[in-house]
Amino acid sequence: MDPFATLGVERKFDVDLAALEKTHRELSRALHPDKFVAAPPGERRAALEKAVQVNESWRTLRDPIRRAEALFSLYGIAVGETNEPKASPEFLMEVMERREELAEARARKDLAAVKKMAEEMAARSGEAERALADGFARGDYASVLPRLGELRFYKRFLEEVSAIEEE
Amino acid sequence: MSLLEIFDPKAPPRPIGIDLGTTNSLVAYVRGERPVAIADCDSEVLLPSVVAYYDSGPVVVGRRAKEEAAERPRDTIVSVKRFMGRGADDPETRRLGPYSFVDPKPGEPNVVRFEVAGREVTPVEVSAEILRALKLLAQDELRTVGGAVITVPAYFDDAQRQATKDAARLAGLEVLRLINEPTAAALAYGLEKKQNGTFAVYDLGGGTFDVTILVLDDGVFQVKSTGGDSALGGDDMDRLIAEEIFAQLERDWSATDIAKVADLTKRDPKTRKPQLVRLVLDAARKMKHALTEAQEVQAEIEGYGTVRLTRERFEECILPLLERTGATCKRALKDAGLKAEDLDGVILVGGSTRVPAVRAYVKKIFKKEPLGDIDPDQVVALGAAVQADLLAGQGRTDEVLLLDVIPLSLGIEVGGGVVDKILPRNTTIPSGARATYTTQEDNQTGFEIHVVQGEREMVADCRSLARFTLKGIPPMPAGLAKLEVTFEVDADGLLSVRAKETTTGIEQTVAVKPSYGLDDEAVENMLMDALDHGEDDLRLRRLAENRVEAHRILGATKKALDADAALLEPGEKDRIGAAMAALEGAAKGEDPAKIHARIEDLDAASKEFAGRRMNRAIARAIEGKRVDEVEKSVEHARGVEAAHEQR
Repeated sequence: MDPFATLGVERKFDVDLAALEKTHRELSRALHPDKFVAAPPGERRAALEKAVQVNESWRTLRDPIRRAEALFSLYGIAVGETNEPKASPEFLMEVMERREELAEARARKDLAAVKKMAEEMAARSGEAERALADGFARGDYASVLPRLGELRFYKRFLEEVSAIEEE
Repeated sequence: MSLLEIFDPKAPPRPIGIDLGTTNSLVAYVRGERPVAIADCDSEVLLPSVVAYYDSGPVVVGRRAKEEAAERPRDTIVSVKRFMGRGADDPETRRLGPYSFVDPKPGEPNVVRFEVAGREVTPVEVSAEILRALKLLAQDELRTVGGAVITVPAYFDDAQRQATKDAARLAGLEVLRLINEPTAAALAYGLEKKQNGTFAVYDLGGGTFDVTILVLDDGVFQVKSTGGDSALGGDDMDRLIAEEIFAQLERDWSATDIAKVADLTKRDPKTRKPQLVRLVLDAARKMKHALTEAQEVQAEIEGYGTVRLTRERFEECILPLLERTGATCKRALKDAGLKAEDLDGVILVGGSTRVPAVRAYVKKIFKKEPLGDIDPDQVVALGAAVQADLLAGQGRTDEVLLLDVIPLSLGIEVGGGVVDKILPRNTTIPSGARATYTTQEDNQTGFEIHVVQGEREMVADCRSLARFTLKGIPPMPAGLAKLEVTFEVDADGLLSVRAKETTTGIEQTVAVKPSYGLDDEAVENMLMDALDHGEDDLRLRRLAENRVEAHRILGATKKALDADAALLEPGEKDRIGAAMAALEGAAKGEDPAKIHARIEDLDAASKEFAGRRMNRAIARAIEGKRVDEVEKSVEHARGVEAAHEQR
């Protein structure tokens, strides 16, 4: 399934999320099962199937990681942690250090330090997204593939921060 | 001279909205352009969700049942909603309450069973009694009742939703849709106020708590996130007060009456005195209500003396409950990617939001004075009535749309008791997703699939929804077989699962054996028991249902043919026409199975036509957006010109 085609938008990484949300809404207006309550069963099923596709496409495209995965797959590059090249030792090393720092800040209950780290990670996540957008725009897919793994790491890190803030 | 209203015997059935609440239930419909709740002969709109069973004679529902609850505590079920979709061993059955429970016999579905007046009833049957009473109420007012929209807490899981739908089926109601209570409330408010923006709905009822964050944009109500607790509500406040009363009475009698103290300290559900528990719980509820106005109240517990409670002490008791709702609200905001400051308004729903401490707490979390100007007891049913009207093709169908989400993540069990999430919480419905798995062992010929719902990583911490097995896979080395599992959640929020082994093509659509619920057979049996003449009645009911369905489909097909004749291919119109004529003929006959078969024939004949209509609708929706965009850029350009001119 090509989520870009389903929502009728250009295939690229830096999508206009506000416009996409509007398209999703218009398609929902046309396809939502509520509009087919009185329709013959065949039509009802067809609409449901399309509505599911539209919602899944929207869920894929609004999340940068899933959007990148969809794009790589569409360009014939396998994704998933076992298919992608291993992260560089430098990156892995840094990942470990960052995690330790976070665990220490958590133990000290140093929320200011946690917040600072989160801001830094969010900024780097933004950088990785820009790099992906450039790579896809240039057609240089393979070279930006490692950025996808990085995005996943930043996301997990930020999720951990959320868990700490909830404590 | 007053004019009498004359019922039009040919008037079409009227759709209704039902709020099946923990404490009270009600039914509403749209009269003219506004939703109104239906009152009974005493002008009461709220039907207490209380069902009394007797050794002989009919079941009693509502106010009379509630009045007798104190005398017949075991045989009178209150707050049955708390038990919907729960297993016989659920912690809910061990909370303070007067009931006697029966364990299911081997082979029986794992659901709660109450022992009442010498028989066993399940929460689905008890709820069906309430729905039946509401249906009768609606029939008195409207003569012919059409389909119903029934509301459920947003945080209800799949089993609880399914149980609600089963209850409606048992009560002979056609369910147009299950919708979430906070969304229904937002619909009632949104249409009243006609204001776009981002809103939070804080819904604290008798037994359940929900919070929903949603965006209202030109008639589209899009839920961004939802959270809640399906076992947290006014009942829990009552229990806290009841514990307080027990403690006070114990202190009062500890020096003088050992026997009384013994009664008061028995907390085990098997040994405590049901009358005393009911008495104290009722007193607790009355004290809670009185404390909305008063600073201090007292109550008489017959045979045990007077107890007192101040508002301050009450607020201290319930603070932990409020804090639980607060944590949920914060998470919902975070899931929506918002801060309290981003909200344009907060809507209060549910009787428990009358408690001043609750209002103050909501104001504190959301930093806003909450809106409560539509009666918090009625607003959900009013919204449901509006949605029922829309689904029946009346009202502002082109403008209004509810886009709701699943409240809890759905996944399946993989190796090591870990959950693999297939659909995360807050995914817009209807939705579907697919995941592929493989075998762990050589020559494994079956897959056991365990469907779970919840946020935790481990299966043991999530709620089990269903188990099924895919069998008959030819022996292969480990890792070679490919199992594709497809989840689909429909607009009612109900899940169906399909599994397919892709190397062999063996497929199974799940005959889900629900972990905590009734299977189709059990519901069918209850349906037979409920009808006086079993099979005959059931056949007649099917006949009536299939006829309604046949006429609906004939009407819809005719409308489609008239509107889109241009999309028909040569000969197609005749084929569809013939199938329509055959269905019309069958609907005049007496055989429900035949009607069903002709419906399927018509479906097959019009399938391709339906597909073409669908594709055009999609093209138009995408195109429509482009036209909008063009218009906007023109507008923008004009704005630029205007700015130039000013210079």
